Amino acid sequence: MHMFVVLARLAWRNLWRNHRRTLIMLAAITLGVWAMIFMTALMRGMVSQMIADGISALPGHVQVHHPDYRDDPSIANLIPRSDTELSARFVDAGFVKWSSRVRVPAVITSEYESRGVTLLGIDPDSERDLTFVDYDAVEGRFLSASDDSGVVIGKKLAATLNTEIGKRVVLMSQDPDNDIADRGFRVIGLFEANVQSFEENYLFAGKATVQKMLRIGDQVSEFVVLGEDYRDVDAEFEKVLQLVDGNVEVKRWFELDPYLGTMLGVMDGFVLVWIVVIFLALSFGLVNTLVMAVFERVREIGLMLALGMKPINILGQIIIESLLLLAIGLALGSALAWATVQPIKDGIDVSIVSEGMDMWGMSSVLYPELLLSDVVLANVVVLVLGFLASLSPAWRASRYEPIEAITKV
Amino acid sequence: MFTRYLLLVVSLGLSLTASASERDAATIVRDAVNHWRGVSSESVMTMVIHRPDWERSMTMRAWTKGEDYSLVRVLEPKKDRGNGTLTDDDNMWTFSPKVNRVIKIPSSMMGQSWMGSDFSNKDVARTDDIIDQYDHSILSVEEVDGLLVYEIESIPHEDAPVVWGREVLRIRDDHVVETHRFFDQDGELVKKLVSLDIGEMGGRVVALRQRMGKVDTPDEWTEIRMDAIDYDVDLKDSLFTLSNLRNPRD
Repeated sequence: MHMFVVLARLAWRNLWRNHRRTLIMLAAITLGVWAMIFMTALMRGMVSQMIADGISALPGHVQVHHPDYRDDPSIANLIPRSDTELSARFVDAGFVKWSSRVRVPAVITSEYESRGVTLLGIDPDSERDLTFVDYDAVEGRFLSASDDSGVVIGKKLAATLNTEIGKRVVLMSQDPDNDIADRGFRVIGLFEANVQSFEENYLFAGKATVQKMLRIGDQVSEFVVLGEDYRDVDAEFEKVLQLVDGNVEVKRWFELDPYLGTMLGVMDGFVLVWIVVIFLALSFGLVNTLVMAVFERVREIGLMLALGMKPINILGQIIIESLLLLAIGLALGSALAWATVQPIKDGIDVSIVSEGMDMWGMSSVLYPELLLSDVVLANVVVLVLGFLASLSPAWRASRYEPIEAITKV
Repeated sequence: MFTRYLLLVVSLGLSLTASASERDAATIVRDAVNHWRGVSSESVMTMVIHRPDWERSMTMRAWTKGEDYSLVRVLEPKKDRGNGTLTDDDNMWTFSPKVNRVIKIPSSMMGQSWMGSDFSNKDVARTDDIIDQYDHSILSVEEVDGLLVYEIESIPHEDAPVVWGREVLRIRDDHVVETHRFFDQDGELVKKLVSLDIGEMGGRVVALRQRMGKVDTPDEWTEIRMDAIDYDVDLKDSLFTLSNLRNPRD
């Protein structure tokens, strides 16, 4: 123990004997750690946002469908149960949010244009905060009830169709017998979405109205359930499995949207790869500095050995030196990363490249996300790998032959 | 007391005339549609599709029966010969001998052009929508060449599958539609169907030449010319079947 204190003191003094070298090394470590943590936070934020957007783009956390619905999302593949009967079971299940909706392809026509869209027949009360549309931000008004006879469309779609609030549009789709089901709707609201394609592809109408128009009685296309945390939806999944029975398919969001699910998995792996890559670059600097420090002090190390210091203590001293260096660098880097994330926590506007971001299904505001686990991971990786990198120069120093070392010019 | 009584009489009278004119307007429209279609009909017509840089014409034979059934088959030009369209209520099928397939027109294609013309599939399949999906009222009545001409404004019901804000028809006393104009919901005229020639054929006065075109592209229009028409012919229901669409037996 006494030996360790002496060694630590020696190491600490050695560090500041050549303070320029130490400071440069510190700067390198700090910058590296900062880059690891900061960039990871940005990436995390990007993925989180993407997944949040993806989930608000209708899948929710867990969904129930007809087994064939995902292959052919048409009127032919409705959940073969009554909506009211199933809903009654969902009400008491204690989900954060849940809703049932009719979702079918349709064609919307104005006087001038027609477009293929996805018609969502929803119950506005249970759907609140479940979809990507913020009811209060809707221009005009959102649907007021399930049997509302209006329709809410995206701003972009309205522009394409050359229509506006208060005008009528016609929605056409098919009923289960493949006969044409159509109806006039008055546009009551226009919504804006983070992702532009949502504005073109989705439109909302009352569930009861849509059921009547499509002549499907009391049936729906899907049930959606939202849980506490998108990373852990198994509890909800199990609960839904127990609630429904018969010929239905229950899926979690990462099964419904495998791209999103894979994205999350890739991201977790990518963070580690990213940290290791940065560290590799960093470690060359670290090893180089330590090797130089050892080379410069060959005579001194030889003298210590000649005075009777054990090689193991030389080894220890060099390792303590590098660990001290790493610890200071890590502390500074982590602090710096925290300090840079803090002011931009409320989002960075990246709307300049929003079209490109759109392609990835991302929105134009980036919220960095600093996870404690990422900070710990970066620190541990640097510390462990740094320790390993310093072994070689330390080992070399402890193996010097004292006579040779002292006489070395 | 007396003024109140007077008010009552006047308002009663007003509402009576209003409902009378409404019924009249609806009757006039219904009669016009039925007149043009007859209980049943068999006709030969030529459709001319005109564009700024080309024009083509097609000769077709058409059968109608009742409010629901119609069948159209192309006679000329040769490369289109045998192309057919069958409608039954709101449903529509096409058949092309080249691909030897009957295709049901899905709802997504109802708004698209019928055989490349300025008529949409919907225009062809849903001719009687005008009768029951609108509220009709008489705008004006005038006398032209000894015939009364009613100008009727038809406003689609709130939930009617119609995109127009209103349609205005000019219907003569002898049930011939002179013009049918389609207005958007801002009141702008978008397209119109005009009867260019009206004359007697098959024992009835009908539009012999009708032209459909959008207002802002006057160089693009489609004309339907009646070459021959027979009314109230005896047509079997089997004429209007998918198998007959595929394998003509007429």
